Amino acid sequence: MKSLIKALTEITGPSGYEEKIRDFIIDQIKDHVDNFEVDALGNLIVRKGNKASNGKVIMLAAHLDEIGIMITHVDANGFARFSTLGGVYPRNMAGGRVRFLNGDSGIIGMEPGGTIKSVPDIAKMYVDFGVTTKKDCPVNIGDVACFERTFTDLGDRIVAKAMDDRVGIAILIELLKNAKTGPNQIVGVFTTQEEVGTRGAASAAFGVMPDIGIAIDVTITGDTPNANLMEVALGKGPAIKIKDSGMISDPKVVKWMVETATHAKIPFQREILAAGWTDAKAIQVSRDGVPAGCISIPCRYVHSPSEMIDINDVTNAIKLLSNLVSKTISI
Amino acid sequence: MSNTLKHLKEMISSSGLSGFESPIREIISDAWEPYTDDLSVSKLGSLHGKLFGSGEEPRKSVMIATHMDAIGLIVTSVKNGFLYMDTLGGIDSRVLPGQMVVVHGEEEFPGMIIQPPDHALPKENQSGPVPINRLLIDLGLEEREVAQKVKIGDLISFATEPLELDGNYIAGHSLDNRASVAVLTKTLEILNKRQHLWDVFAVATTQEEETLGGAATSGFALRPTIAIVVDVTFAKSPGAPDHLSFEMDKGPTFDWGPNTHPKLFKSFEKVAKDFEYSYQHAVYSRSSGTDAITLQLAGEGIPLMIVGLPLRYMHTPVEMIQIKDIERTARLLADFISQLDDNFMDTLMWDAEKEEDEAK
Repeated sequence: MKSLIKALTEITGPSGYEEKIRDFIIDQIKDHVDNFEVDALGNLIVRKGNKASNGKVIMLAAHLDEIGIMITHVDANGFARFSTLGGVYPRNMAGGRVRFLNGDSGIIGMEPGGTIKSVPDIAKMYVDFGVTTKKDCPVNIGDVACFERTFTDLGDRIVAKAMDDRVGIAILIELLKNAKTGPNQIVGVFTTQEEVGTRGAASAAFGVMPDIGIAIDVTITGDTPNANLMEVALGKGPAIKIKDSGMISDPKVVKWMVETATHAKIPFQREILAAGWTDAKAIQVSRDGVPAGCISIPCRYVHSPSEMIDINDVTNAIKLLSNLVSKTISI
Repeated sequence: MSNTLKHLKEMISSSGLSGFESPIREIISDAWEPYTDDLSVSKLGSLHGKLFGSGEEPRKSVMIATHMDAIGLIVTSVKNGFLYMDTLGGIDSRVLPGQMVVVHGEEEFPGMIIQPPDHALPKENQSGPVPINRLLIDLGLEEREVAQKVKIGDLISFATEPLELDGNYIAGHSLDNRASVAVLTKTLEILNKRQHLWDVFAVATTQEEETLGGAATSGFALRPTIAIVVDVTFAKSPGAPDHLSFEMDKGPTFDWGPNTHPKLFKSFEKVAKDFEYSYQHAVYSRSSGTDAITLQLAGEGIPLMIVGLPLRYMHTPVEMIQIKDIERTARLLADFISQLDDNFMDTLMWDAEKEEDEAK
């Protein structure tokens, strides 16, 4: 599992440019599923199992894209300005390196000014490619990059960039390979453009028309020094989302998840996330509505280049989701 | 006590917070049952009441959307026998300390919101309003019992009793937007004794205070020909900006802005003038802040009108409204719906001003 997560996090795939990560996943799952397709927004939609008369079509969504930057201007000396793709925090940029889709690398530089402690706006930052002229600058306006940081194995805890949401992708790949579907059909959707507003999931859900929608994504934790009050910690099990700032999980879905976890003796946490949301937000309000929920992997330092998760939470999330999708569901 | 007042008092004595509307839905369902031909519940919990018109099939339809969900609180942590909380919907948290609440745990517990004394707070919270993540709920129970019977995600609703004030006003929690539901119930009652050609879809929507998801999905499911959103708006009160607040007891507001279909707005004005109803003009830019935001875009798009009920002290447990405004808005809606005929949609081009001028 760790090696799959490592491989996934090392691929560059900012919002709107998910092709490489999508191709990697197709290779992983193609021999294990009934069929797959790529829709107009680039979502990879994978089906496994047949829906029986007492079964459900369950859409499981994990997003392909990660936060990144897009070049907006290159000056005469070859320094490139950029805007952000998704929630990129200025304070995480210092000393950062970025890797472009074509493999070129650069470092984030910042204009002087302010104090040694202050964080400048993104507008005061640039990418330095180590060149001296515009002609030698390897990128053009519109080129996209992601943050670069090596995968680090700390034991139970592992750290990488783009753990949001490559850990969800890893879980979904594992489910598509090994989960029993019972009377249900699993529609695994690897969604695009989540970080810029759950756009892929919205169009995918409209096409899939699921009976139930579940997002698999990361959530923040309250287990670090002086953290905001939040009752989610690494290593205490996957979090069953009750509410975030974009969705109130369907109470029937929450009940189903809690009862399944309790019955199977899988540790879990109850999640209320004050700020942030997932693909489930878009799935819930698709067409005439979809009962929706989310299984979250607790993650520290979300949207930084060093996102940390606990591998036991991943294992338990797979157990919980396998239990959820393999049985007859009465919702 | 009028039926409307009784109905309203029952509704504002119920919980039914955003996303968890079952308690209020049952009350509304009972109230609409005698006046509708069909009642059903959407996938997101909205109540759909259908009253069939007498026109020839296929009939056109008008959807009236009033959200039934209320703002409230949700348990985020249980520590040392006390509860921490966050908001469901937008709450002015300055009014929270001292409020009586009901905590919906394994059973319903009475409780009160308390703010710790200054010396127990970090320095930055010692002056001014205490932020919600520092407030606590005391249930008066043993720590062990609280831990057993209350969990993260349990709901907390206001326990404020309805208060009838002199001058035909009522105050309480959740008048946003149950006052509008009371309008809709009354409209259905009137339409039952009246001929109307179009089908009427009465909808009590869910999650307006959080996601606007109920209106979006009900609009997609029902695909009405036109829609009317009824929601509360800001009434004049000391300090309220004059151009952004409206008189109580002077009729509803007709809201003009990008969620409103311009021609539908005009047809409302015409009906109000023909039947001699008083009404007020409200203008919003960009977004109406109502179910109209998502309902307008459901399916292929729905021509839509917004009618507002002026209300004081919005998003507090002591919202206040004029009962006569409810009754006269209900009559206005019934008169509008009764005059909808087969040709109505021909008048409803989004921006047909120019063509009309040219025709002249």
